[in-house]
Amino acid sequence: MPHTIEKQRHIIDFTLASLLRRKGKNGALFIVYTLIVFILASVMFFTHALKQEASLVLKEAPEIIVQRMLQGRYTPIPEEYAAKIREIRGVTAVRARVWGYYYDPVFLANYTIMAPETFPHEPGSIAIGSGISRMRRAYEGDTISFTGADGKARNFTIAAVLPEESQLVSADLILMAEADYREFSGLPAGLASDLTLKVRNPKEFATIAEKIVRLLPDTRPIIRNEILRTYDAIFSWRGGLLIIIMSAAVLAFVIFAWDKASGLSAEEKKEIGILKAVGWETSDILFMKFWEGMAISLTSFLTGTILAYGHVFFTSASLFVPVLKGWSVLYPEFRLTPFINPGHIATLFFLTVVPYTITTIIPSWRAATIDPDSVLRS
Amino acid sequence: MIKVTDISKVYNAGRPNEFTAVNGVSLTVNLGAVTVLKGPSGSGKTTLLGILGCMVRPTSGRILLSDREITSLPERFLTEIRRETFGFIFQQFNLIKGLTALENVMAPAYPTGEKYAALRTRALETLALFNLAHKAAAKIEWLSGGEAQRVAIARALINNPAIIIADEPTAHLDTKLSHEFMAIIRQLKEDGKTILIASHDPIVYDSELMTSRIEMRDGGVIHAGSQA
Repeated sequence: MPHTIEKQRHIIDFTLASLLRRKGKNGALFIVYTLIVFILASVMFFTHALKQEASLVLKEAPEIIVQRMLQGRYTPIPEEYAAKIREIRGVTAVRARVWGYYYDPVFLANYTIMAPETFPHEPGSIAIGSGISRMRRAYEGDTISFTGADGKARNFTIAAVLPEESQLVSADLILMAEADYREFSGLPAGLASDLTLKVRNPKEFATIAEKIVRLLPDTRPIIRNEILRTYDAIFSWRGGLLIIIMSAAVLAFVIFAWDKASGLSAEEKKEIGILKAVGWETSDILFMKFWEGMAISLTSFLTGTILAYGHVFFTSASLFVPVLKGWSVLYPEFRLTPFINPGHIATLFFLTVVPYTITTIIPSWRAATIDPDSVLRS
Repeated sequence: MIKVTDISKVYNAGRPNEFTAVNGVSLTVNLGAVTVLKGPSGSGKTTLLGILGCMVRPTSGRILLSDREITSLPERFLTEIRRETFGFIFQQFNLIKGLTALENVMAPAYPTGEKYAALRTRALETLALFNLAHKAAAKIEWLSGGEAQRVAIARALINNPAIIIADEPTAHLDTKLSHEFMAIIRQLKEDGKTILIASHDPIVYDSELMTSRIEMRDGGVIHAGSQA
């Protein structure tokens, strides 16, 4: 066994010395390979981190939301429904939420306006998301004007700008007191935008949703897990789309690698002949080619993955932002929480290192079976 | 002792470019002998040398190495025999460019799995035998013709083989270097090595070191003579 390990060490030593001699060819392979891994890893890290971010945010979201439907469309819900739903067993709390959207025709952006349960600032003041603050160049203490449902402009004083950490959900958010919002949006008293429920046992979500529909047929309960699934599907779809486009690049790379690795020069063939003549076995040559492939692919894999990590988590995936984050005037500007899934690293490894090793080892077989006497006859 | 009986080697058999390199040769090489194969280009010297050195598989005939039949051994065993029993010095030196003299000398011993430190020391000692210790770290392409020749000899000796095979070793050397090469052969002979050389250089085949001279033409032996 020590003999075998020592032998492999010698072969690896020899391989590394050989690799350094062909800087041009191996350098080109390394650059293209690293680029491919970088792009694939960036897509994976980014979509996964976004999904992770979204699911973390949604963890705080209510377990069930109840909306009222009229003519198949979403419409304000009577607050008295809350009392009826509270009576269903398993429901621990029901809250009527007041919120809506506001289209800003000057900046062509949509805002989400919400009246939280408790709004710590004075009437007539608002708290705005950092995205709006950035876009409208409005900061704490400034006055901002919005047109109400009656067509009249109203001035609000900015009491606070929401913290940067929650940008993914709060970039376009405006918070104001409930009374202000009802007056501004024209939402009559006794009606709410929707109801949120707290349910003790997650296994009962579906049963409670059924009971609500039976009790109040004009309502639509939305379970949190369904929202999570939708987010997941959207991000996976975007990520998948990019990977499909990328697979063409991967294919091009495999062809390139095949060409580079299998197109042995006369000098390389001669070297293999020499090694065989002086006592290297076919298996030793194959090991050499295997280590050569591993050295290139592992170095490229690690470099590409580390670069992608930096790209996604330190520069917030500056190259992919427009495609993957969605289309909006108000891009959230935030730094994703670094999160690496071992499964993804393994997938990436099998998508890049394994095809490369296979595409290079097969043609190497031909080279390894060169007759040792080719050296004598050259 | 190497004994070959009725050995033939046909290249591209059955094709229009079929070519018989060696035709029905029988000969015996004794241990400790210095044998020269002489003859014009295309006479079959190199192929016969390859067959004797387990590098070329004959089309027909038998090879005995120390009374062991090795003709039909699988490639793996032949490689092992080649590595342990033979040291090769090629016409063009066939050193690996881009590697240092030391790495070239060590290369034949890599498959043996010997400890790196021990192997390195041995390779340096072998280079020192040929006054090349100071060139150990030099890349092959920086060496002069004579130095490259001596590195090739050091490489042939690294696994301490009993038999040294040299194919036209002086073809690319001037007269002075050819004489230097013969001095090394003298030393190897004194060390008890069996030496087989293919050459049509008079400095080699007329040398008093030769214990046996085999003359070849058209793939066959036309004259074999020995001297004590």
